[in-house]
Amino acid sequence: MRTLYRRAAGLAWTAPALVLLAVFVYLPLVQNFGYSTLTWDIYSGSQEFAGLDNYRDLFADPVFWTSFTNNLWYALLSVVFQVFGALLLAALVESIRSTRWQRALRTIYFIPSAISLTVAGLLFYFIYEPNLGLLNHALEAVAPGTFDHAWLGQESTAMTAVIAMSQWQGFGYSTLLFAVAIQRIPAELHEAAALDGAGPVRRFFRVTLPLVREMTGLMVLVTVSGAFQVFNEVMVMTSGGPDNSTHVLGTWLYRSGFVRNDFGHAAAIGTVIFVITLTIAMAQLWFTRRRRVEW
Amino acid sequence: MRARALTRSAALLGASALVLTGCFAGPAKGPAADVTAKPEYSGTLSILTKFAGEPLEPYFEDLAAAYEREHPKVDVELIQETDQSIKDKTKTLTASDALPDIYFTWTGNWAENFIRGGRAADLTEVIGPGTAWGATFSEPALSAFAHDGRYYGVPLYNNGKFMGYNKAAFDKAGVEVPKTFEELIAACPDLREAGYEPIAFGNKDGWPALHYLQQLFAHNVPADVRESDYDPETATWDDPGYPIALEQFRTLVSRCTDTGRGTNGVLYTSAQEAFGQGRAAMYYQEILEFDNTTSGGALEPDDLGIFPLPGAAEAKGDPRIVEGAPEGYFVNARSPRAALAVDFMKFVTSAAHAKTLSAPPYGQPSTVVGAVTPQTSSKAVQEGIDLVNKAPRLAGWLDMVTAPEVADAWLAGGEALISGSKSPEQVMDSVRRASDSAK
Repeated sequence: MRTLYRRAAGLAWTAPALVLLAVFVYLPLVQNFGYSTLTWDIYSGSQEFAGLDNYRDLFADPVFWTSFTNNLWYALLSVVFQVFGALLLAALVESIRSTRWQRALRTIYFIPSAISLTVAGLLFYFIYEPNLGLLNHALEAVAPGTFDHAWLGQESTAMTAVIAMSQWQGFGYSTLLFAVAIQRIPAELHEAAALDGAGPVRRFFRVTLPLVREMTGLMVLVTVSGAFQVFNEVMVMTSGGPDNSTHVLGTWLYRSGFVRNDFGHAAAIGTVIFVITLTIAMAQLWFTRRRRVEW
Repeated sequence: MRARALTRSAALLGASALVLTGCFAGPAKGPAADVTAKPEYSGTLSILTKFAGEPLEPYFEDLAAAYEREHPKVDVELIQETDQSIKDKTKTLTASDALPDIYFTWTGNWAENFIRGGRAADLTEVIGPGTAWGATFSEPALSAFAHDGRYYGVPLYNNGKFMGYNKAAFDKAGVEVPKTFEELIAACPDLREAGYEPIAFGNKDGWPALHYLQQLFAHNVPADVRESDYDPETATWDDPGYPIALEQFRTLVSRCTDTGRGTNGVLYTSAQEAFGQGRAAMYYQEILEFDNTTSGGALEPDDLGIFPLPGAAEAKGDPRIVEGAPEGYFVNARSPRAALAVDFMKFVTSAAHAKTLSAPPYGQPSTVVGAVTPQTSSKAVQEGIDLVNKAPRLAGWLDMVTAPEVADAWLAGGEALISGSKSPEQVMDSVRRASDSAK
């Protein structure tokens, strides 16, 4: 009886959250899958069942594959810069003896993360602007006529330029997380290694790296997952152009729905994004359940 | 699978099926709006405008305040968007069946989607030919929103696209106003020599390129062929004039702009500013932009001249056709306040307010007869409207007259032409594919 009462009480306490989750998370997911099986005219409201036609069209759509490739490119560069680059930088910052300098550097690196993506995107749009942009002026001063580009205006450079902004924006946050992970490593371990004659590089590989493995793995998963949810920076800086070369899945979903009026196609892209991010989330859950590193 | 898990899965599947069948029944159809009823002056009237930002934003704000003063029980709720954001906003509201009582519309395919979908109230009884309100508008402006002999839109202002030029820059370079496309291209080196960027151009948003293309299509492709190509059912997009026009556009970008292949990385507002600040000699602009380019910059109103983008000497289309179209507002067919919405739009398009709209700082040439005069409007706006009125035909905006997939193919194609990643033939191929898929 008491057990039953406890269960009922538990259910009552969690019911509001469960209802909110159901209405705002799970219902839209189910609805989205439903929409992806429809041909939907938003003007008349007519909806015809199309089965898996939207998915067939999607996998035959070259812009979908361009978008998917851009997301992968985003993920790869983000892992390189926001995980391994940030780890290296965090290790360097933490190796500085002066705590005042450490604090100052952490703050400097973290500031870009405090700027909203939209603002950062606009800021970089003006940095990349071919006529008045800071970047071209700086490059012109260093090597006249060599690197003069319309960074966001040409297919060959636009996507990399957008990703570069994203790395600048997210780099400091990752660095801070790694700094916290490094600070948790007992100082005795570094001291012992130093007494055994290990230099800073060896200590990094033999002490720091194994003991922040957990954070590194988690950061890889979070970064890759985030790379498949990119939207704002692309929308602000290029809107997917020129010639659809900078679309990512999120922006192509948006354009399919709100520009091309093909909401079924857009919903199919939504389902693909969901499957990808769900897979990464499952990997993340599995990873965090593994036995933690102990010392 | 254990029994309990099986039961849970079955329950989840059942719930999903219920949700799916319940959620896709389409929007509930409300009663058709009665636009002829006597308005009830109470409640909230919502309106979605395209007048966000300076200098246009105050126009509807002032009108709303004035209307509320006349009718204290009415609350006018303004949703003001920009030219770019209103496209997405309108479609979002349409998809979620939450359109306001009055909402902005372009002409062409954009408007027809709303009319065919039953989203725009039939205003024939109040604005059609023979009605007192209808008589206050120019007939072509009213007809632009007609469909199958019925009238749906309230035209607010007229618009057309012209090459704006800096008279002082032309004088300094010793350049005459070009009469042909060849003369326009030939003038560019002289203007550059005189220290100006010949034509300021920014195509980050994609549509500025389409404005050039549509005018060049009007020059190079017979009008009936062009208009038949707008409809995916009759479209072939195989007239030889199209690739000729695309080639002309490429020539103009490479020879007359300083940004050339990098033009996709420049905002149209940056180009507008380069012209307004006197750094560029020409800027292809809408009538709606005329007063903006001469406000606060180095370019004085008297120094702004305009001419239609000239056609090539051998063009097969009609060089007299001007690109442009009126823009206006629909009343939501499902609005319970349709009569009040009509009353508000009558207030908006009254002679006094139409003159205010046509005058600086707004400079939006009203479609109300007699609103655009030398006393109310700037010289350039007056000249532009005269040219629009004299044109034998108007060519609507390419991304508004074509089906959305085709418009999107043109947007990508225009960008690809500029960056050099596609040839005119490749662009035409992608447009034909998009048109076929839109059938």
